[in-house]
Amino acid sequence: MPTLNRRTLLGAAAGAASLPVLFNPARAQQRPTTIRFGLSAWPPNLQPWVSTGASAGTVKLLIHRRLIGFDEKGEMRGELAREWGLDAQGAWVFRLRPEAVFHNGERVTSEDVKWTIEQMAAERSTAYYRQQMQQVERVETPDAHTVRLVMKEQSATVPLWFTNYNMGIVWRGSRDMNAPIGCGPYRVTSQERGTWIEVQAAPNYWVPGLPRTRTIRFTVYADENLRLAALQSGDMDMIEYVPWSGMAAVEANPRLTLATQMGPFMDILFNGTRPPFDNPLVRRAVAHAVKREDIVRVAFSGRGKVLEGMPISEGTPWFDPELARGHAYDPERSKALLAQAGHPNGFATTLLAASQFAMHKDSAEISQQYLAAIGIRAELQLVDWSTRVSRGIRGQYDLAVHGVSSEFNDPDGLSVVMDTSLSPAHGRSFGVRAPRTTELLAKGRQEFDQAKRVEIYRDMQRAALEEVPLVGLAWREQGYGFDRRITGFANLPAALSTASGALLEFAAFG
Amino acid sequence: MPWIVKRIGVSLLLMWVVATVVFLALHMVPGDPAELLLSTGGAMPDAYAIAELREKLGLNRPLWEQYLGFLEGLSRGDLGNSLVDDYPVADEILLRLPRTLELILAGTIISVIIALPAGTFAAVRAGGAFDRVASSLAALLQAVPVFVLGTLLILLLAQTLRWMPAGGYVPLAQDPVRHLVLLSLPAIAIAKGLTATVFRMTRASVLDALSRDHVRTARAKGLTPQRVLRRHVVRNALIPVTTVLGLQMGTLLGGTVLVEYVFNWPGLSTPLLRAVEGRDYPMVVGIVLTVSGLFLLINLAMDLLYAALDPRISRS
Repeated sequence: MPTLNRRTLLGAAAGAASLPVLFNPARAQQRPTTIRFGLSAWPPNLQPWVSTGASAGTVKLLIHRRLIGFDEKGEMRGELAREWGLDAQGAWVFRLRPEAVFHNGERVTSEDVKWTIEQMAAERSTAYYRQQMQQVERVETPDAHTVRLVMKEQSATVPLWFTNYNMGIVWRGSRDMNAPIGCGPYRVTSQERGTWIEVQAAPNYWVPGLPRTRTIRFTVYADENLRLAALQSGDMDMIEYVPWSGMAAVEANPRLTLATQMGPFMDILFNGTRPPFDNPLVRRAVAHAVKREDIVRVAFSGRGKVLEGMPISEGTPWFDPELARGHAYDPERSKALLAQAGHPNGFATTLLAASQFAMHKDSAEISQQYLAAIGIRAELQLVDWSTRVSRGIRGQYDLAVHGVSSEFNDPDGLSVVMDTSLSPAHGRSFGVRAPRTTELLAKGRQEFDQAKRVEIYRDMQRAALEEVPLVGLAWREQGYGFDRRITGFANLPAALSTASGALLEFAAFG
Repeated sequence: MPWIVKRIGVSLLLMWVVATVVFLALHMVPGDPAELLLSTGGAMPDAYAIAELREKLGLNRPLWEQYLGFLEGLSRGDLGNSLVDDYPVADEILLRLPRTLELILAGTIISVIIALPAGTFAAVRAGGAFDRVASSLAALLQAVPVFVLGTLLILLLAQTLRWMPAGGYVPLAQDPVRHLVLLSLPAIAIAKGLTATVFRMTRASVLDALSRDHVRTARAKGLTPQRVLRRHVVRNALIPVTTVLGLQMGTLLGGTVLVEYVFNWPGLSTPLLRAVEGRDYPMVVGIVLTVSGLFLLINLAMDLLYAALDPRISRS
């Protein structure tokens, strides 16, 4: 055993004291060819068409290119498709950019698009857009750069399907779907499972001048506070999912920029297969019972907005200020609705929420208090996320609090949360009958005239306010924090925020 | 049957019990790997996709069939592959276990460097100012949860002063200095509780040794106080301290979860936590088996050591 004496101890103390001097985070920041990006979660895999979360989406958006993407204002712009539209026969036609090439040097052709769609639609596919791709009756390839989709059923939102980050076009010779060949600005060059992924600019990327940064290194910081600390201390140049409690600090930091969008939202879901929530009057009573300002203040540190109607973003053509207040806080009305439904003295029930997400837990606790005020005594059931998903899919709950986002900014993107006729999911009410809402969502999807669509979706909101497939609680800000010297990156508006990773090809220091 | 064979047999039996209990417990709690994988990030997959993935992952097979398959793999030393990305569980453990062990070792070294001299000094000056302050500090260290200390360290040294990185990992071969810098804060956090324990143990052992007859004899013979302390007190007092240290290191194997999480140290805890959340059965069982195996191995080694020191143990 080494002898412990004064000299040894002093030496050890001097060594410990010198550690801060040896490391200077500010010096490490001065690497303009690399952006160090703090991811909130490890992508379980990078299979192109399987949904494995927004963090995986951020990486996939760099490896792959979709037919269509978005500009920084959230308007569709062609990625692999230079133009698209309906032809005289009602088929969707996409014309591809002839200069696009895959990472292996092969040209991107209509055959690759056809193969990609067919793989996603295949019987044994686990692709996120499998059902939508099965709506394609056949894919025609009149020439190497034209794709023609003949649909089983018309839908105005077909181009939006191809904007999703799970819709990357893959080289048709790819065999290993864990390492498919894409045509995006970056290629994965190294990674350590669960810890980091490094991507480097693809040498044959076909857009002149892009990507602007040679290397992006993603490091996973699952803890939101540590992720924020890594940004503040200079360990990271950019992070996603800035915690709401830290947004003010990022804004106040002269070295950093905060880019936020009001995109995702919190809501209450119902089990409509049994009393009392099979009754729309009771669901409406819940809708008027909760004072949303408290949720915005407590769960989101004020970085949100009350949601008292259906989750239609303000500023879009579908937004109606009156309908947006259709479920405004009104406890007297709630009590009256309960009495009308045959529950003048309220009732006991359960409220399910995920315990490991503070926003779920806080929203549920506040909702519980307001529900108690109108006589609904909800026992709070806080469970881990895995149990929450499992019980949600199986309808093992009465009320549930959830956080979710629309698929895209068109109201059809809300079908995934509002169309209760779809198969059971943890983020949709279970077995709630909302036939008019479902019907109007379908009608809006099939209508191509913009003015008519606006009217249909306003009708849909009216129907949903009565049928209550969900109760909106609060919009929440979605934020990216990054070094002020980084330019070219933007947080995409509203529901598109989680797809902002596609814009990293424009991001660079200076 | 020789004592050693019996002891190894018991250890193997315990391993099987651990493996079975973990396997069954995981399958009994709610949560389905296919549902969770496809619902990552709030996505809402359709029922067909979930059913298809369940089929692909072999989750539709009866539980007993899955269990037998698992035992069969285990008997060949195969821990299986992750349900999430088909990555071999053994490779993940081989990559990350050394990092967890490094963290534990670093924390233990810090503890020993601080607690041994401090505990000895406190015992020699029992009841003095240093003893009172150090004992109070040890009680405080034991009371403060490790995540509180970790968060405070990050807040002060990384966010406020910007002297240290907030967390992370760089391989030793890539950048030794940065590796040690990144290791320092989690190692300090790990050392917190251990330092307090070793300090208290050292203090008590030294106090006990100081009152022994042989120490009084040594003093009577005219040896210098330093020589008595070094050769007759500390050396004897270290035996129980070493035992406690060994046991504590074993406990730390399963206790690094919070530290690794708070400091983003990519040891064994991160994949374990993620695997539990995602119900990645093979990964959870593989990691738990490894940790419990190591724990049993340490215990077995201790038993063998005691048996070597005291033959009466093996005879009994």
